[in-house]
Amino acid sequence: MRTWADLDEFQAFLDDGGMVEADDDMPEEYRHEVFRFIEFHANSELMGGLTERDWIPHSPGLRLKQIFLAKTQDEIGHAHLLFMVAADMGVKTRDEMMNDLLAGKTRFHNVFHYRAETWADQIAIAFLVDAAAFASQRAVFAKCTYGPYKRILRRIVGEEGFHMRHGEEMLLKMASGSQVQRDLFQAALERWWWPAVQLFGPDSPPDDPLLKWYIKSERNEVLRHAYVQKYVPLLHGYGFTVPDDGLHQDPDTGEWMMSEIDWAPLKATFSNAGPDSARRLANAVRNHAESAWFRESIGVSA
Amino acid sequence: MTASQIYEVFLKADGKSEFRHVGALGAADNEMALLLARECYCRRAEGEQIWVVRRDDISSADSSETAPNRNKSHRHNDGKLVAEHRRQLREGS
Repeated sequence: MRTWADLDEFQAFLDDGGMVEADDDMPEEYRHEVFRFIEFHANSELMGGLTERDWIPHSPGLRLKQIFLAKTQDEIGHAHLLFMVAADMGVKTRDEMMNDLLAGKTRFHNVFHYRAETWADQIAIAFLVDAAAFASQRAVFAKCTYGPYKRILRRIVGEEGFHMRHGEEMLLKMASGSQVQRDLFQAALERWWWPAVQLFGPDSPPDDPLLKWYIKSERNEVLRHAYVQKYVPLLHGYGFTVPDDGLHQDPDTGEWMMSEIDWAPLKATFSNAGPDSARRLANAVRNHAESAWFRESIGVSA
Repeated sequence: MTASQIYEVFLKADGKSEFRHVGALGAADNEMALLLARECYCRRAEGEQIWVVRRDDISSADSSETAPNRNKSHRHNDGKLVAEHRRQLREGS
């Protein structure tokens, strides 16, 4: 077990490329901030996995059913591993985290506070949302100073890469399908573009401790801007319209510039007051209750 | 209800590589731990063999115990003295 005299000494260790392990005597500020971040990630994987699950019976065709089954297993697996990593930080037990999530006391990603209306929404989620999550997780993996999280992120990022490829392949099929299919995706894009962009969060505060401690390797606004540069041309290339009247290319740099973002919808999700938050949470609570018999049968609590 | 046990998971990728620690998981017993290890850590056949070990059964030593061995130069030999001698012979001095 390593220990540090104060935050300055700890910061010097991190600046030097140091990696923190679960049994280190890390500063309480670091322990709590990193724990909260991982708990949020774990919650999001679980809530996302439950949504994927709901669409397995509606997936058109055997291959897509297999793909959505595998994606669901991947997401639930990620949640399982992340809850383990979080519990090992000694802040909350896994049961406490599960109870807090189901009681609406802790948060999960904004994108899981919206309703997926049609199959095309699932494609928009796979193409846009998984890609945004992938970009943000890859940026955490890049410099992550908490060893157990970094090692688990390596596998999560790898698996999310498969999801993204599935997403773009499904989009390609919609884009090269009938007018009905293209209209269906355009409507889904209009529902999911802004939540996907907002997944990166508002601009990072100047003194963000997560940046200082290299949990995040890049500021939110930088990741968001890079995402827009990549996904606007891709969507145009498939023949779709990005739902932003103010979207334009900077005449000097050629960069895609968005309208000012309305952050009110994101903030609503922070207090579980998004358009679909209540239904999603009720769904998760029901799922937890309905699977209690299984946990009992194998002798575990959560 | 009992709490689940914590298991550490190790994978061995192919003939020549060693078992590597990949992470941990919670499971009720050894059989369940192997099943979960396969479904969480080996989903795309990342390993061909799996070990799961109950965390409580692992004895470990940290850097306070391994540090003394950093300072044993007599366990290494950089070969510099002999190399210098051979170089001088080659140059016919």
